[in-house]
Amino acid sequence: MDEGRRGVLRILGKGSVAAAFLMQLAAAARAFVPNVLYEPLRRFKLRKPGDYPQGVTFDADHRLFVVRQDDDFHVISAVCTHLGCTVQWKLDRKTFDCPCHGSRFQADGTNVSGPAPRPLSCFAVAASPDGYLEVNTAEEVARDFRFVATKGRA
Amino acid sequence: MSLREYLRQRWRAMTWSWAPETELEASDAIVRNLWLHWFPNKVTLRSASWSYSLWLGTAAASLFVILLVTGMLLMFFYVPSVQTAYWSMKDIRFAVHFGFLLRNQHRWAAHLMVGVTFVHMARVFYTGAYRGARALNWLVGIVLLLTTLLLSFTGYLLPWDQLAYWAVTVGTNIAREAPLVGTTLRFLLLGGNEIGQATLLRFYVLHVFVLPAILLILFAYHMWRVRKDGGLAAAEPLRRSRRLTPTAPSPSKTYSIFGVRPGATLQTLATTHVEETDVAFSSPELTRRLTLVFLLVFNVTLLLSIMFDAPLEEAANPNLTPNPAKAPWYFLWLQELVASTTIRLGHVTISGGFIGGILIPGILLLLAAAWPFLDRSANSTEGVWWPRERLLQNLVFTAVAVAIVALIIVSLYFRGPSWGFYWPWQAWPPSPATL
Repeated sequence: MDEGRRGVLRILGKGSVAAAFLMQLAAAARAFVPNVLYEPLRRFKLRKPGDYPQGVTFDADHRLFVVRQDDDFHVISAVCTHLGCTVQWKLDRKTFDCPCHGSRFQADGTNVSGPAPRPLSCFAVAASPDGYLEVNTAEEVARDFRFVATKGRA
Repeated sequence: MSLREYLRQRWRAMTWSWAPETELEASDAIVRNLWLHWFPNKVTLRSASWSYSLWLGTAAASLFVILLVTGMLLMFFYVPSVQTAYWSMKDIRFAVHFGFLLRNQHRWAAHLMVGVTFVHMARVFYTGAYRGARALNWLVGIVLLLTTLLLSFTGYLLPWDQLAYWAVTVGTNIAREAPLVGTTLRFLLLGGNEIGQATLLRFYVLHVFVLPAILLILFAYHMWRVRKDGGLAAAEPLRRSRRLTPTAPSPSKTYSIFGVRPGATLQTLATTHVEETDVAFSSPELTRRLTLVFLLVFNVTLLLSIMFDAPLEEAANPNLTPNPAKAPWYFLWLQELVASTTIRLGHVTISGGFIGGILIPGILLLLAAAWPFLDRSANSTEGVWWPRERLLQNLVFTAVAVAIVALIIVSLYFRGPSWGFYWPWQAWPPSPATL
């Protein structure tokens, strides 16, 4: 018998069994990366612009703040950039305070004290065709972003 | 013949087919018994003493046994679903007979296990019992401590109350700060971007199966290594003082899964004889103390469970962070660190989540793992409490331990709303309704 040929076949035989074993391990590991996420939508409607009072309004369902100045709107995330607790609006100081580790942000979201490494995120705001504010949390915008509601809609 | 002696003989006749008549036969009896063969047939009296080891490792193992049993019983009543988890906790507390006792005991044993395991580590450090061949077991011990902490952390989410939800929010966001793999690690841990059903189920399976299995396997290896490294380091001063020459390797057999391998076992090569007066049979000298430690530990957890209820806050509410939100006490020192270690250098900001949550504990862990290989003190320091030569080392260890405990105390008793500093007797400002 040809030893070389036998050797190759032996490696192929054992190798394919070992490879199948390793592939199955990889397949089992892959199952743990979810393909479908049953999480809240990143893009959703809020109330109509006219329904918001002047100043800062907390939206508990979406963990964000809707800020209205006259007819200018912007949306600031309520998720602390340090470790993800929900910040609270302190009306007397005009700051966002984080209860977990004491981070503090100015009204425009700039981090001023505590461990937070970044400003709070601002999200894109637009009007939906039927006249509601529509927020897309997948799209972050600059801090001076403003959505101007037209008089008719507001 | 007294009645007692008569009963003893009857019992013997019922349970033993034969009685040992010599020392050798008595040793043999221990090796041949299903339960007793876990122990060496003889132990040095010093390593079985209360004052050397304080029996802390046994106490930790006893706590783990209590956790296994109470945890298994709790599994009959707990449902790992976002909708029902919290309400099954309420049921365990109010609707199941002695359910509160099971849960309290599980919780107290868990808290104690973290503490006792750390104190056991301190004992091993102070007695220099990690040196030489025992370095490997020291590393296994560190992994066991980490597994214990992971078990506590995964168990923390299961009640699905406010405490659980926010402690795990903070914890998993610390994981995100790990360089390169952080975001992926958090995504896989949570089974998504947010803490939800997938997270609860993953933590549940990790808590009730994967981590206990890892702990059991490592524990078995830990104990096997203690045997193969020549027992507790307590025996080392004894072996040195007896100044006996090593025994010539005697022919012996090693049983492996591949059959019998002739040769000489590690133990016959490594050990020297200690005198007969230094040792005693492990049954009953070891087994009696083992039973006592277990009963003592069991009763401590039982008493604590009767006196103090495990807390259960409101149901988890992702929209409302409690103020202040505190991690479990053994992670509070990390929370204190992540709250105060954010560094700003010009335009570069390094989050405290990375420095306090990953870097500092990581360095401490590496230091602990490398210590046996850095320790250059003499062999005579092995198995001795606080030897003069290792005074500095022991002081360093104590300093780190004291710092950790101090941080825990500060964040437990001196931190109020928004992580502000408050004296324990100082009233917290009423939290104005801000929402």
